Amino acid sequence: MRNAMKVAKWEIKRNMKNKSFLIGLFLTPIIIVAFMVLGSIFGDSDSSEAETTYVYINDGLGIFPSLQGTVEQASFNWEMELTDIPEKEVTSVLEDTENTAYVFVDQRALEQGSVPVFTSEEINPYFMDQVQLLEAPLKAMQMQELGVSNEVLTVVSSNIELEAHSPDDTAEEESHSDTSNPENEIARMIPGAFAGFILISIVFTGMAIFQSASQEKKDKIAEIILSSVTPSELMQGKIMGYFVLGIIQTAVSLMIVLPVLAWRMDINMLEYLLVPELALYVLIAILGYLLFASIFVGIGATMSDITTAGNFQGLVMMLPFLPFVFIGPVLSDPSGLWAQIGTYLPFTSPGVLLLRLTILEEWPWLEIIISLVILVASIWLFMKLAGKIFKVGILMYGKNASPAEIWKWIRA
Amino acid sequence: MEVLLTVEGLEKSFKEKKILKGISFEVRKGEIMSILGPNGAGKSTTIRNIMGIMYPDAGSITFHHHTGKEIPRNKIGYLPEERGLYKNVNVMDILLYLAELKDYPADKAKERALHYLKKFDLEGKEKVNVEELSKGMGQKVQFISSIIHEPELLILDEPFSGLDPVSQELFKEEIRSLADGGTAILLSSHQMNLVEEMCDRLFMIQRGQKVIYGTLDEVKKEYANFKCTIHGKNSYQDLEGIEGVQRVEQKEEVSILYLEKDIEPALWIKNIPNNIHIQELKLNRISLHEIFIDIATDRNLLKEASELHA
Repeated sequence: MRNAMKVAKWEIKRNMKNKSFLIGLFLTPIIIVAFMVLGSIFGDSDSSEAETTYVYINDGLGIFPSLQGTVEQASFNWEMELTDIPEKEVTSVLEDTENTAYVFVDQRALEQGSVPVFTSEEINPYFMDQVQLLEAPLKAMQMQELGVSNEVLTVVSSNIELEAHSPDDTAEEESHSDTSNPENEIARMIPGAFAGFILISIVFTGMAIFQSASQEKKDKIAEIILSSVTPSELMQGKIMGYFVLGIIQTAVSLMIVLPVLAWRMDINMLEYLLVPELALYVLIAILGYLLFASIFVGIGATMSDITTAGNFQGLVMMLPFLPFVFIGPVLSDPSGLWAQIGTYLPFTSPGVLLLRLTILEEWPWLEIIISLVILVASIWLFMKLAGKIFKVGILMYGKNASPAEIWKWIRA
Repeated sequence: MEVLLTVEGLEKSFKEKKILKGISFEVRKGEIMSILGPNGAGKSTTIRNIMGIMYPDAGSITFHHHTGKEIPRNKIGYLPEERGLYKNVNVMDILLYLAELKDYPADKAKERALHYLKKFDLEGKEKVNVEELSKGMGQKVQFISSIIHEPELLILDEPFSGLDPVSQELFKEEIRSLADGGTAILLSSHQMNLVEEMCDRLFMIQRGQKVIYGTLDEVKKEYANFKCTIHGKNSYQDLEGIEGVQRVEQKEEVSILYLEKDIEPALWIKNIPNNIHIQELKLNRISLHEIFIDIATDRNLLKEASELHA
């Protein structure tokens, strides 16, 4: 163990002195931030919702205050004003304006139920839907004109709804009321997203393990190192060292990304982040790292060079991306069959578990425990296998090991 | 002299093929012991088994200064045949790391590193990146890394390969002085001239088997018979008929007569028949080099000699 620590220390020191690692260390979060900022810039210019629509009302009925009230309630981004431009001149006025509409409310509305609306060429695409809202106050006025009492009016204007009821209706309603609260949803998303971020960034750094193992072979230093430490110490040292590097990467990323995120989303990140759930999330992320690290270190030892990776090695390299396959099915049904399969499969369980726990209100504790047990058992198994592969592979120069050879080492 | 390492009945197979077939030898304190043999004879395999990088199928390896089953890695220095160092790190860092792995104190390691860098003409290179070193320089750094922790046993696998004559001489001197200082040295090589100049004892191996084992003098006395080279036109039969001739090799007008083990050189020369044409005559012992070539090319000179001896 002491030797493993020395190896770990060396790997950390070596990488921290390496320019390309340092560049990557800071570049990764900066790229994330850049995309976030860029994304919102483009988002801003795209949404015409942000632009104010000028609505001029030619009010022949004295209904303007009522219309204004309705619009205010709907919180449309409208600037409403009274006007007395006659209908004939509207077309010429509208010619060189943007986001402008003229609405003519007069006797025709009450008698024929039609209200002419003239809009400029450029206008919010939702405007014609929005303007339908004005129907309600006009309708009310129409009814009043016809002498319908307020009471009758309320009954007439209220819709009749057909409601669906099922036995577990009450429970669902409860959970609905909870999840529909956006504030609450964000609160639950943050620790999960945070753990997912840790998982991804240490798995990516973990891929460097694989580089490091095959580089060790390429540089032919493995034999010198192995004259001082045992192969399993070397392997453990590498796994620990790159874990710390992954944590460093995560910490640096968070220091750069979090403030930007907090500023853009205008919420107190830390308050949402430091919740008890985070401990489990981080545990899952670490277990995920250990699993992939042991696979990578073993596979790295079978390759003479990263550029000569065979199909088999390439396939193994893709394993961390397997959870992406499950994202769709899990999102549509977080407790469904696919979600469960993903939870029990060791390669996907860290990713899928994190995703499910973030979405699900009620945690399926039994499933969580079973999947953690499976995960721990597979980590143990893969560490053993990786140890066997590493021991032979690291000293094999000049060629990649074939799956058949690897199988033989495992059985040996 | 005190025995430091004993290897007994070492056997190792790869797949179906037996690479080592019962190798036994010992290495003593303060001596240079060389393992000789052609490529693929099993030299590196033997060394890797000693280092615990591989595990033998049968046989035992005993470190006499050490109790317990573990190999005393901290007391062994090792220069593998496959040369390489981490790229992208500076010379001092890597030397200190390798010393640290051997549990050698850092301050002493630094001192020794500077001392040896100076000795090997690499003064001021301690902050240089390994990538920027020439092959020879890299090899020197590796050599330093194998001795920086003052090992009791130093194992060098082909230490001279790829070195220029000046560096070869430097290495040779250093190895000799380490041995004089009490370090037990096991080195493998196929450069006979160098080995002949410096080793105390040798172990020659072919196809995983012992061929010769003993001190340099013993080996020379035992195996290095006289040979007589004659320039001149002579018939094969005439030469073969001379008393004490074991075997004749003829190439145009040059004939090499391999003589029996116990001839008296002076007497033998007197007995050369008058009908032999001699432009030039040379009588000398077969060199280690020739014995080696002989083994490597599977000629039977040695076998004959030993059979005769037996």
